[in-house]
Formats: sequence, C-alpha cells, structure tokens
Amino acid sequence: MGEQLEALNKAMVELDLDAIAPLVEKALEEGEAPVDVLGAMCQGMTGVGALFEKGEYYLADLVLAGEGMKEGLAVLEPRLEAGALGGKGTVVLCTVKGDIHDIGKNLVATMLSSSGFEVVDLGVDVPEAQIVEAVRANGAKAVGLSVLLTSMVQSIADVVKALEAAGLRDQVKIAIGGACTTDALAEKMGVDAIGRDAVEAVRIFEGFCA
Amino acid sequence: MSESMTCLERVNAALELREPDRVPTFDVMEEYANIYKIIEKKPIPLGFLFSNKFTAAVIDRAAPLINMTGVMDREMDKFSHDRTAASVKLGYDATWVMHVPIWRFHDSRTATDIYGRAYDVVFDKEGNMGTPMFREGLITSPADWYAWDKRAILKWPERTNRAFKAIIDDMGDQIFVMAGFLFGLFENTWQPMGFERFSVALRRDKDFIKRVIKFYEDHFCMMLEAWADAGVPGAVYTDDQAFRSGPMINPRLMKELYGDSFCRITETAHKLGMKIIVHSCGRVYDLLEWWADCGFDGVHALEPTAGVELARVKEMVGDRMCLIGNMDITHILVDASKEEVFEAVRKSIADAGKGGGYMIAPTNSHPDISLERLGWMLEATETYGHYPLEIKADA
Repeated sequence: MGEQLEALNKAMVELDLDAIAPLVEKALEEGEAPVDVLGAMCQGMTGVGALFEKGEYYLADLVLAGEGMKEGLAVLEPRLEAGALGGKGTVVLCTVKGDIHDIGKNLVATMLSSSGFEVVDLGVDVPEAQIVEAVRANGAKAVGLSVLLTSMVQSIADVVKALEAAGLRDQVKIAIGGACTTDALAEKMGVDAIGRDAVEAVRIFEGFCA
Repeated sequence: MSESMTCLERVNAALELREPDRVPTFDVMEEYANIYKIIEKKPIPLGFLFSNKFTAAVIDRAAPLINMTGVMDREMDKFSHDRTAASVKLGYDATWVMHVPIWRFHDSRTATDIYGRAYDVVFDKEGNMGTPMFREGLITSPADWYAWDKRAILKWPERTNRAFKAIIDDMGDQIFVMAGFLFGLFENTWQPMGFERFSVALRRDKDFIKRVIKFYEDHFCMMLEAWADAGVPGAVYTDDQAFRSGPMINPRLMKELYGDSFCRITETAHKLGMKIIVHSCGRVYDLLEWWADCGFDGVHALEPTAGVELARVKEMVGDRMCLIGNMDITHILVDASKEEVFEAVRKSIADAGKGGGYMIAPTNSHPDISLERLGWMLEATETYGHYPLEIKADA
C-alpha cells in the first residue's frame, strides 16, 4: 500500500474526519487507482469495526466512520468504474412497519456499503409489500429488518409471511436487529439470524451472500 | 407477614443501602390504558379525536390554538396525578412520576417538543395516546439552537412545582414519589440534532455541545428546586446513555462532557434533601462506576435484554448504589406463567437483595405489560422479599 493510502487508512481508523477527503484527492492526484483508494477506505472501516468489537470504539465512533466514508466517497465515486461498489450482493434494509428508529439501521447500511454490498435502504416504517417488491426488483439475496420497539415485533412476522406468500422466502435470508430482538424472538418470527450490532451484521450478510 | 416500616422508610432504607423490612417495589408505569384501568376512570379519548377524520381535520387546522390554550399541558398535569394514584392503588412503595408537558402539535399526526425534536403522534391498541415516536431532530446547526424559543423550558419549573404540590398533598404519605421529566442532558444534546449530526459535532464543535449541556444542567437544577419545594423526596435522572451493545459514546468522553454536570445535579439534589437515581436503558456496565462516582443514590432499568445481569451489577456497585429494576418486559411481565414471574422475582432478590439496596421494578413502561403479572410480581415480593432474606444468591 502506498504512502497516501496508508495515511488514508490511518485517518479512517483514527476517525480524522477533516483529513479523509483531502487524502482521497491527494491519492488520486498521485496516480493511485480509484479502486485501491476505495480499498484503503474499506480497510479503514474494517479497522474501525474491529475496534468497536474490542470495546475501544462506541456507537458514535461507528457513525463518525460512516461520515468519513461518505465524505471520502463524495470525492471518489465519480472516478470509480461501475460495479466497483456493491460486488458482494444486494441487501434490502429497513426499519419495520410501525417503527421509525433509524440509528442502528443507518449504521448497518453504512457498514454494509463500505464492506462491498449494494444496499437498498427503504427507510423507516416500511410496509411488508414494499419489502417484497424491493427484493423482487433488485434480486436481493438478503433482507435486514431493524426494530427497536417491542410493540412492533409482529411486523417481522408479517414480512416473513409476505415473502413466503410471494414465493421469495427460499431465495432470501432474513436477519433482524435492534434493541428488542433476542434469539428467542428470531426463532419465533422464523428469521435466519439476529445481529447484535452493525459489525456483526456485516459478518451475517457475508454468510448469507457467500 | 407483618411490616414494620412505612413505604417512605422502606424506600429510604433501600436507597441508603440499609436493610429495610422488605424489598421495596418501584412503579414505572406510564401507559394510559393500564393506568386508567387501575383507577377505574375513563381517559379523554384523545386517540379517537386524533384519528377520527372529522375531528382530525379540526385538529389539523386548529393545532396552534390547541397549543396556545395549554389543554395538552393540563392533560399532562392530570396524567401525572392519575398515574401516582394508580401506583398507590396497586400498593407500590415508590413510584417514578414523569411530568412532561412538552408536546406541541403541528396537526393530528405530527408534533414537536419544546426542545426541538419532531415526532409522530401514536396511539395504543385501545386508542389512548402513547409517548410520541421520535422521528428526527430539528436543530441542524448551532445557529438553530441559539435561535430556538426556550421560554417553555424556562417556565417549566414553576408548572412542575404546582403539579407535584398537588400530588404530594394528596398522596405523599402513601408512596415515595420520585419525580422525573424528559429528557436528561445526554438525550437533550443529541436528539434535537440527531445522532449523526451530534457525533460529528462532538469531533468538530465540542464547545457548542458543552454550551448546550450547561444550559440543560442549569435547567435540571431548577427542576430539582421546584420538586424539593413541592415536598418531593426523590428524583429520577432520566437519560438513556447506552444501547444494547454498550454506551452510545466513549465513556471517557461522557465523563469529560457530562461528569461535572452530573456531580452538580446529584449535589443539588442532596443539598435539597432529596435522593436521586439515574435511569438508562441499555448495556450499562461501562457507566455504572462512573454514575456511583457522580453521586447517584441508585440506578434503574438494568435491562436483561441488553445482557445486564443483576448479580454482576451487585458485585460491581451494589455497595455504592441501590439497584432498581431488571424485571423483564419482553416476556416475564407480558405473557409469562405465574411460576415464571415468581421465579424471576426470587432470582432478582437472591442476586441483589442481600444487605438491602435493591428495589423490584419493571425495566420500563410498555403497553403490553400485563396487570395480572404486575400483581404476581408484587405478590412474589411479599413471598420472597422480607428481611432477613430466606433465599440465598444463586450459585
């Protein structure tokens, strides 16, 4: 890895927001391939995820890393060839119907995008029919459902049923996450996995899309 | 079994980490449906008014007028009184009484609060108004915050003083009232601007964040003075600082930003003769010792769904803070059998009751909590909670 890419990777890991976009510019000016610049940023995100798992970084740090990624991509994206982003597969992501909490869902979206997934983020309070349509339209292999409110967990079962009714359940795997989710709930709702945090979510979806 | 202490003495003993005659019980219920079932009253049918297309159309047009008349604020005053009455009727020893006249309606579907959050208006299954659902922060810059009309925030201590005087006059000898309001300093700094913006501001404009914290620290101390003047014996510092995986921001940064404020808040409460506990949802292990250092008398929630184990908390800070809560609201108090509820209470008392310093309580309020199971929880506390305890900590 060249000096600029090393510096970019370090800035990502250290959450040095003000340095990221200028370092991307500089790396490109010095002739680094856009895909390698992207690789350095993604590697930085992986480093941030590892620090989160070790308990050295916290939720706000993941958000900052996501902001850094966005600022870097704003410079980089026009230079990337089509298909450079999203090669690992497509994930449909949303907060379930009746729930509008989005911090966790947004973090998962950022972590998945920076790990090479194409993310179809449907937002919050999303009805099951819209999820089914998004899976069908994008050929998604995986669905991620976020739910914070205990009172809204039934919406998870509604999504599972709707995917079954549409004949799509066999082609997609479903993971859930959020404050009220438990292993017992995942089993009860008939989903395939539960993610404790955004870093674990990346591993789950890598498994789903392998 | 005979009881030798009043509820006030019992709760004080637990908060002072002495053995009471029995493990006290602490009510956190905030849901209209259950509260009005308990006190056998009919609430104003707000859900009907907001969802019926004719009345909703009126509200859509008349929302500013409704806000101006203060009718919703008066409803909040009344609700705080009614929910205290419900706690007394159920036989709790202590109750967390929220007083939150903070909502301002835009129309029949959306509202803002006095701090700068936008909400969706929500109703429970029976059409009662629920806690509005936070959608986004409206403070997008320091300029927005400085320009935000803070008059309603500054007038609140006087209003809360009147509301709590009525509560204490009517029920202060029947239950240990712990006053609270929304929101604490952490939530009030991040939510009105949204977590993403807040996280970036922590890095790029920490002085602004400190300014906001200072404003709400002063406000909290004014609220404490208003409660103390009303004769309220305790306060709940309500501030969710953790997620299910841990603190939302680095605990070192929490200490740097909020440490002095928390210390001033607890010192103010103690000088006024009040007890003060901290409430936070989430996996709070990394914050417990710091809260004890800040001077909180107790800690509430201790959510099992966030992986919080009472025995571990007792070992960590049980000699410095009273532990309150840990009764699960996803299964135990919702649809568990009587045997399961009794076993959960027995285990909680076994894990945290030794030597005093524990109060039985649900981790939070929730519309799905069953009154029958709350009754079993109270019954089980009578069965297992008398000192000297006959049950031992589980191996």
